[in-house]
Amino acid sequence: MSFSRRSFLAASLAAGCTALTAVRSRAEEPILVGVSGPLTGPNAQYGAQWKAGFDLALDQINAAGGRPFQYVFEDSQSDPRQSVTIAQKFVNDPRILAELGDFSSPASMAASPIYNRGKLLQLGITNSHPDYTKSGDYTWSNCLSQDDEQPSLANFVIEGLGRKKVAVLHLNTDWGVACRDRFVESAKAAGATIVATEGFQSGERDFRSTLVRIRDAGPDAIVIEAYYADAAVIVRQVHELGLKQVIAGVVSIYSPKFIELAGDDAEGTYTQGYFFPGEQRSEVQAFVTAFRAKYGQDPDWFNATAYDGLIFISRIVNQFGASREAIHEGIAKIKDLPSAVFGKATFDPTSRRVSAPHFVRLVVKDGKFAAWDGQKPKAI
Amino acid sequence: MGPWFDYTVNGLVVGNIYALLAVGLALIFGVANLINFAHGSVFTVGAYLGWTALHYLHTPLPVTILLVAAGSAVVGVAIERFALRPLNHRSRIAPLLATIGVSLVLDQAVQLIFSPDPRALPSQLPDWRLPIGGVTIGALDLLIAGVGLTSAALLFGFLRFSKLGWAVRATAQDPDAASQMGVDTNRINAVVFAIASALGGVGGLLVGMFYNSIDTTMSFDATLKGMVAMLLGGLGNVPGAIAGGLILGLAESYGIALFGTSYRNLFAFALLILILMVAPNGLFSRRRELPPEPMTGTFVAPSRPLRLPRPALAAIVVVAALFPLVWNQPYVLQTLTNALLMALLAFSLTLVSGTVGQISLGHAGLLAIGGYASGLLALDHGWPFVASVPAAGLSTAILGTLMVLPALRMTGHYVAIATLGVGEIVSLVILNWTGLTRGPMGLSGIPIPAIGPIELDTPRALYWVVLVLVVLLGLLQVRLLSSHLGRTWRAIREDEVAARAYGVEPLRYKAMAFAFGGFGAGIAGAIAAHLYSYINHETFNTQLSILAITVVILGGLGNVLGAVLGAVLLVALPEIFRAAAEYRMLIYGIALLLLIRYRPQGLLGTI
Repeated sequence: MSFSRRSFLAASLAAGCTALTAVRSRAEEPILVGVSGPLTGPNAQYGAQWKAGFDLALDQINAAGGRPFQYVFEDSQSDPRQSVTIAQKFVNDPRILAELGDFSSPASMAASPIYNRGKLLQLGITNSHPDYTKSGDYTWSNCLSQDDEQPSLANFVIEGLGRKKVAVLHLNTDWGVACRDRFVESAKAAGATIVATEGFQSGERDFRSTLVRIRDAGPDAIVIEAYYADAAVIVRQVHELGLKQVIAGVVSIYSPKFIELAGDDAEGTYTQGYFFPGEQRSEVQAFVTAFRAKYGQDPDWFNATAYDGLIFISRIVNQFGASREAIHEGIAKIKDLPSAVFGKATFDPTSRRVSAPHFVRLVVKDGKFAAWDGQKPKAI
Repeated sequence: MGPWFDYTVNGLVVGNIYALLAVGLALIFGVANLINFAHGSVFTVGAYLGWTALHYLHTPLPVTILLVAAGSAVVGVAIERFALRPLNHRSRIAPLLATIGVSLVLDQAVQLIFSPDPRALPSQLPDWRLPIGGVTIGALDLLIAGVGLTSAALLFGFLRFSKLGWAVRATAQDPDAASQMGVDTNRINAVVFAIASALGGVGGLLVGMFYNSIDTTMSFDATLKGMVAMLLGGLGNVPGAIAGGLILGLAESYGIALFGTSYRNLFAFALLILILMVAPNGLFSRRRELPPEPMTGTFVAPSRPLRLPRPALAAIVVVAALFPLVWNQPYVLQTLTNALLMALLAFSLTLVSGTVGQISLGHAGLLAIGGYASGLLALDHGWPFVASVPAAGLSTAILGTLMVLPALRMTGHYVAIATLGVGEIVSLVILNWTGLTRGPMGLSGIPIPAIGPIELDTPRALYWVVLVLVVLLGLLQVRLLSSHLGRTWRAIREDEVAARAYGVEPLRYKAMAFAFGGFGAGIAGAIAAHLYSYINHETFNTQLSILAITVVILGGLGNVLGAVLGAVLLVALPEIFRAAAEYRMLIYGIALLLLIRYRPQGLLGTI
């Protein structure tokens, strides 16, 4: 059994603080949630971010008393060969009441049939592949599919920032392509022209020639559909090439790491967030304050969505009971879950995703993400 | 000046980076006759050493470079001393596997020490940029080019004019003769690893500064691109490596200009295959400059295979078949099913690489073809599992053989790199041929395996089906090995010229081996696709090819039973180390190194 040591320590600490409940709960078996995700391999950074989110959620859940919560993080390296064995392990371990993950689409969706046959809830915390929740009645996600996010981004770039000719630079994966397709659709509907779309492979670092191609297509905005590390490398090279176009990016570039890696070149990049640390909604503030206190840095989207996943499960357990069936029944029924990402979240039982999201428009200003002031940037 | 000028400048800037990587790889190849898979890891180590120096000691750039060079050189010497030297003269292929193990260990160690989060590595050079045409060049670009060219020039002078350099070249030409003339070949190897690793480490530092971002996953791409660049310039040719790097950079840049960004790597690997076909010694080697490539068979260490008596084998099969009745634990059965699927792939690879001596580093491409063939037949044409899987096996046999045909004329390391290229091309074609393969979205909803109306939806049922396949294909392969065909295959491996003199046409027999192997691998890929229900272009990637060759070498090249044992070990070991969480791949790497150290000819020996 591989409990994360840090979470275990944290949990014991939290239990120690509330001595009375601790005495009672020590006698009880903890409620176990399985996590299948990358701790090693090329996506290990995202697994580490999940862990930070989970550990914070555990602190809060266990401090509130009741039956203690615990998660079992199995390293899949985001490899389908390993995620299917992990799925068998979780399904056949009656102590595990729900599962979170995996990270990549091949790993997550290879495991889905096993979770569905085993009637164990699989809650994808970062899975936006449009077919992900179609695997079956037990596969849900608190990650939006791009149907919600991209129209909002397109509206921001075209109506908000007043751009008409857009170039899209996207990660050439299922996620990036879904982003691109939804964005292009909405942008065209809003009357903009798409002058170029370029897909790059993950791990690529050199975008100079791609940017020359984009430059020659003559856009007035460049939209980046990528994760923060790639996006940081891209904005640096955009400025090195001397391009002055407006740059806007998808939600997943929203991370303090983006600003650290891009340095001064991050300045003036637009994006949108479900949340940002400066926002006043109480759920967001509570999460951001707690995260800063525990880790000494601002959370990003990967931290927040992982935190939400575990909090959601604990709320469902509290309201509907601690069994696999109760959790499966509860996720469809529960309303207004407190969420670091959405403020309040409710699952739609047909799409099995969270409905009605809320976006904040952001811009990087003075080395920080700040709410956009509604000013249109000057034409180039 | 038009955009083509800009593309050229950009290509050269990136080519510089590839050149820096290729020089180190070429140096090691030239002397040790070894493709060093750990080179990319040293590159990463260099980047993190630089980060540490900057972050904690605030060293100025020249000092940082010196520190990184020294630190990386120490790592290089350690690799040579502890991972490679103990293997000397025992097997040609074991050192290759050892470098793979070292790269696992180094990557995991860096990840554990520094966390997998990407870090900023700010450049300490002045932030001026020189406009050229429509693009700009910065101080760092010039520094990278300078380091590459200077080091190549220095190395060239060192090898030509210094006494130690002569010793290095003598060792490269004939280690035995060199040591008889009083050259300490161990010391020479250490020197070469030190120089090459220092270069690799400094490369990592500079490239990290170039992008202001370093992370622990840079290693593999660095090795891959460096290898392609080195090959373009000619294996083991140091000045050629610089030119190879620049050509690769230009090819990618023009590829982007012509076809778009998603075709970048496709263009690079297609160029690789083309050059291998037209000028296999690289663009700059005169035929006489290179020592002749080893005969294919020299990869395979002569050893006495461990033979199990027939009753023992039968007993193992019976135990394996009855096992799920006794212990119906889905997690264990799923792991064993994965291992058996890996064994099917390993059969194919051990035949091609062990029996015929063609080391293939792109075997996962065959799984991908099989997986997509069966998946598409089932999804788009409604074929049942029992029909689509054999069809996938056949299409993989045909397509796979056609694709490696150009590589079959080559020998030794060239085949290895060409097949690596073919594997990458398969994945990139799947990614880009959206009309057929659905591109990056992958295939979802592939039906679960079923025989007639019986769905194989329990781990136990699937385990039995795969076990039957493994036993059948394994027996068939053993039978083939002892037949006339098997002897012909081994004859080609041992001495292609002699085989030809006996009237054997090697190309035809190599193609037969690939066809037979492709069939089994295609079936394995097809079953995996139905088992996962979702596959995309990354499901069967080069890392999987590398794992497959590891399985085969570990089991003993050409050894069918060894392939099964290797597959079970290498699939099960990471599962056993699961409790170690973040440390498990580190432990796995160390276990791998120890296995190679004490059984360089494979666990069950080569056949």
